[in-house]
Amino acid sequence: MKTGHFIATTILAVGLFAPVMADDHWAYQPIQNPAPPASGAGNPIDAFVLAKLEESNFEPSPEAPPHILLRRVHLDLTGLPPTQEEMTAFQKAWKTDPQSAWAEKVDALLASPHYGEQWAKHWLDIARYAESDGYLGDTLRHWAWIYRDWVINSINSDQPFDQFSIEQLAGDLLPNASQSQKIATGFHRNNLKNTEAGLDKELARTKQVVDRAATTGNAWLGLTMACAECHDHKHDAISHEEFFQFYAFFNNTKDSDITVKLDKEWPITTIEKKKDEKEPSKPTPKAQALSILPEKEWRKTHVHIRGDYTRHGEEVTPGVPAAMHPITIKEGEPARLALAKWLFADDNPLTPRVTVNQIWQKLFGTGIVATPDDFGTHGARPTHPLLLDWLATKFRDSGWSRKKLIREIVMSSTYRQSSTNTYPDRPNDLLWRQNSVRVNAETVRDIHLVASGLFTPTVGGPSVHPPLPSFVSDVGRSVKWPESTGPNRYRRGMYIFLKRTVLYPMLTAFDAPDTSSSCSRREVTNTPMQALTLLNDPVFFECAEALGKELHEKHGDNADAAITDTFQRCLNRKPAPGELATLSSAHYDLLDESKNPELAMIATTRIIMNLNEFITRD
Amino acid sequence: MITPNPITRRSALASLGGGLGSLGMISALGNNGGILTKPHFAPRAKRVIHLFMNGGPFGPDFFDPKPALTKYAGQRPEGADLRTERPTGGLMEVPYQFSHHGKSGLPVSELLPMTAKHADNLCILKSCYTDNPNHGPALLLMNNGTMTPRVPSMGAWTSYGLGNESQDLPGYVVLCPGKPVRFSILWNNAFLPAKHAGLYINHSNLDPKSMIPWLRDPDENPGGQRKRLDLLQLLNQHHSKVRGGNDLQLEGRIEAMETAYRMQSSAHDAFDLNQENAKTREAYGEGHFANGCLLARRMAERGVRFTQVYYGNGQPWDTHSGHDKKTRALAKDIDQPIAALLEDLKQRGMLEDTLVVWGGEFGRTPVSENADGRDHNPHGFCMWMAGGGVKGGYAHGASDEFGFKAVDKPMHVHDIHATILHLLGVDHERLTFEHAGRDYRLTDVHGNVATDILA
Repeated sequence: MKTGHFIATTILAVGLFAPVMADDHWAYQPIQNPAPPASGAGNPIDAFVLAKLEESNFEPSPEAPPHILLRRVHLDLTGLPPTQEEMTAFQKAWKTDPQSAWAEKVDALLASPHYGEQWAKHWLDIARYAESDGYLGDTLRHWAWIYRDWVINSINSDQPFDQFSIEQLAGDLLPNASQSQKIATGFHRNNLKNTEAGLDKELARTKQVVDRAATTGNAWLGLTMACAECHDHKHDAISHEEFFQFYAFFNNTKDSDITVKLDKEWPITTIEKKKDEKEPSKPTPKAQALSILPEKEWRKTHVHIRGDYTRHGEEVTPGVPAAMHPITIKEGEPARLALAKWLFADDNPLTPRVTVNQIWQKLFGTGIVATPDDFGTHGARPTHPLLLDWLATKFRDSGWSRKKLIREIVMSSTYRQSSTNTYPDRPNDLLWRQNSVRVNAETVRDIHLVASGLFTPTVGGPSVHPPLPSFVSDVGRSVKWPESTGPNRYRRGMYIFLKRTVLYPMLTAFDAPDTSSSCSRREVTNTPMQALTLLNDPVFFECAEALGKELHEKHGDNADAAITDTFQRCLNRKPAPGELATLSSAHYDLLDESKNPELAMIATTRIIMNLNEFITRD
Repeated sequence: MITPNPITRRSALASLGGGLGSLGMISALGNNGGILTKPHFAPRAKRVIHLFMNGGPFGPDFFDPKPALTKYAGQRPEGADLRTERPTGGLMEVPYQFSHHGKSGLPVSELLPMTAKHADNLCILKSCYTDNPNHGPALLLMNNGTMTPRVPSMGAWTSYGLGNESQDLPGYVVLCPGKPVRFSILWNNAFLPAKHAGLYINHSNLDPKSMIPWLRDPDENPGGQRKRLDLLQLLNQHHSKVRGGNDLQLEGRIEAMETAYRMQSSAHDAFDLNQENAKTREAYGEGHFANGCLLARRMAERGVRFTQVYYGNGQPWDTHSGHDKKTRALAKDIDQPIAALLEDLKQRGMLEDTLVVWGGEFGRTPVSENADGRDHNPHGFCMWMAGGGVKGGYAHGASDEFGFKAVDKPMHVHDIHATILHLLGVDHERLTFEHAGRDYRLTDVHGNVATDILA
């Protein structure tokens, strides 16, 4: 038995009572522009990773086989698995020239509209996006999706990340702000909002401002700023006063909904009919946006002593924590716009690192910094600090292009390694293999829909209401859930109406965030609840039914062909002979019991759809 | 016409190189699935019910009378100026009357008249302390044994060591009417096998269908679900083997699938409080905490190794202002259910081998905050244990004259953990798991068993 390694917590314990002034904390240091280590690797990312592996005498893993690679990159870039046709075409191209087959596939996926959906979903977690106010009333936000679609479109058109950010933070303050730039400020409107009767309105307002300041700090700076609302940050360099200087950037705003012209007429099903109306009146689309108060109404900002807004401390003006790079607010420039630009100043080391890390995390299951939401002294330290800086520099120099960054990463051999865990005792911090990860909640749904053939690929538009289980809809005060019919029942998980008090149970079971605060890393649990959901949720049963029926019809009595086809539709590979024989004999047993070939095939499909591999991205 | 497949089931299984025998692995692991083939010592308790007052209660309100707080009210004498999370003022009086209870004469305040009737079962720990005055780190230390996230929780360690006596439910169940701060990390399995993670149940709606959705197979022709599941697991295991056989995530999913399968037949009953008679329901009273206590008893009865009942959503015991008023309401909420739980366990002959633990992640300050609130206090706080091999009617250790700091026989959280494991028959230094090149254990490199409290 090994001993003598138990030191971490003791050191922490001693340090905790005194706030650490972290002038020399790694994350606040300027970004270096390191040259990739000299090595045989042509790709700079691989050179950084290999250098670290060599220090530990580890070998990288071999490249994963093409069918796994294709499934991996499909799921990572678009959140959807490849179809059988795509798989066949890819494998053919791979045989001729693997490198160009891969490059072409990556480019095609980055150009797919589903790329924008998948990466928008990641951003919407950070933006704590939902379609209702939360709290007791939980009033619906019928038009919140206009902002969601703005995010999808922006990511699909590869809007530079600095522009993407500045528009969300202060789009309303840009000269001649366009409709789209105003819609972007809907970012700030995603917070919880209490509208209960008799509430303290100023308290509710200050809570929103606190949330906006904290979310901004978390999303772009990786700081747990909210800690400093009530007191000096315990271990990061953010004082109580500095928090309220940051708060001041957001204090002279008001929520204003803007009438927008949509480029497409969407069938609006979520608006309820007024009592006396025969037909619901045609609703006017109103995006949630933010605007600045007229100057004469500007509020003074004070420190809230212990976070209590009624207890005013010192008056403060907009400013950023002293430990960070300085901000310059030009004469006449709106402070919030200056803040947005400050995030993208050349001397800001945090935003590029934080963003690059968020993206890396989605492609490897874990970040170079394992705590994407905490770059402070209590967060994890980077496993590959030089690589992080190299990526951050590259990202900034490429004009903040997310597509270029993602392309750079997925083209590397590091990304393409096999995820097989050959050395179970060896942690994968150094990336000697890819990580094998369970797909996220929405994708669990999406892969079922795609495999079954039920999938409706429509991008954007109003959210949908697939059937809600009765144990949710029966509960509490009249849950209004106008059940979607037709193709809208089979839209992607990300389009399921996100009502804060009625989260879709299947998504919650698979660790979708509760949207109450910014979330840049989802927990990944592995629970019997998930197993029950996969086994028995009627939606998944319906998927198995559709696929089983379809392939039974197609292949008739040739059960082996039907099973092989099902297997490929679900797992993107052919069954091994033993697997086929097993499923085949299962099917035979099921047929023997039910005497109904269709039912037997459906039951066999359910077995395949419950395989762990189905919901795993290897 | 249907072409029967000539390959028999048995030969098909054989062709995967496994055969159904390998499925036996799941139940054949050690003692009830625990890693210890037998406990290190004779266990005094078989299971734990942890009543968790998230937010942190103030011991001198309940079990640790401090007359000095009245004497020096409003002042800040020497010894009352320890640093805590936030700025604090002078000492604040405890307005509740104390009286002595049971044969032991333990002092219990008027806030807990019904719990006080069980004074002779309570083992009051008056000198607990922790390392950090913030909720996050303190919650982690109390539940996971270190302030750094991503290590297994106490319940997961227990399930890992001793396995589970329930065939049909997971070995670790967490009941909370909402979400405590830090949420699922507090009951995670981290690097331990996934089946040891706590099963989180939000019991704010008591319909078992809402607590555990999808218990029923939607297929009206299920066609031998067990058989299908065997096949499924066999294929999962085969795939695992192809991938080197070291896929923890996959192993976890296989276990979860098995638990899920068994839960289908039993969980509905286990979580259905309507199966309790009116007298029992009445004894526990109403409210989330009462329901949580009663559910915990049902879990314990079914052999669940570790059950936690969180008092509520967020951190309800975090009384930074209006402390006395809030505490009165909180106490009223817990008094009857706790008394009922202890009585119920006694009646069923289960108290002797069920360890009940009560407490928060830390305590509160004797000095005031915001005029009428109390701040977090890591320096000294109260917990209690009952049943499962601890001395009843006994008070262990002491805090200073203000109830600020543990002074006599101080008991660090690591010591509490070491003691709980000891009561379960486990040597906390020998329940380890090798991960990332070192051996981990619940108590890190610390922990002393408080032998004084053993019955």
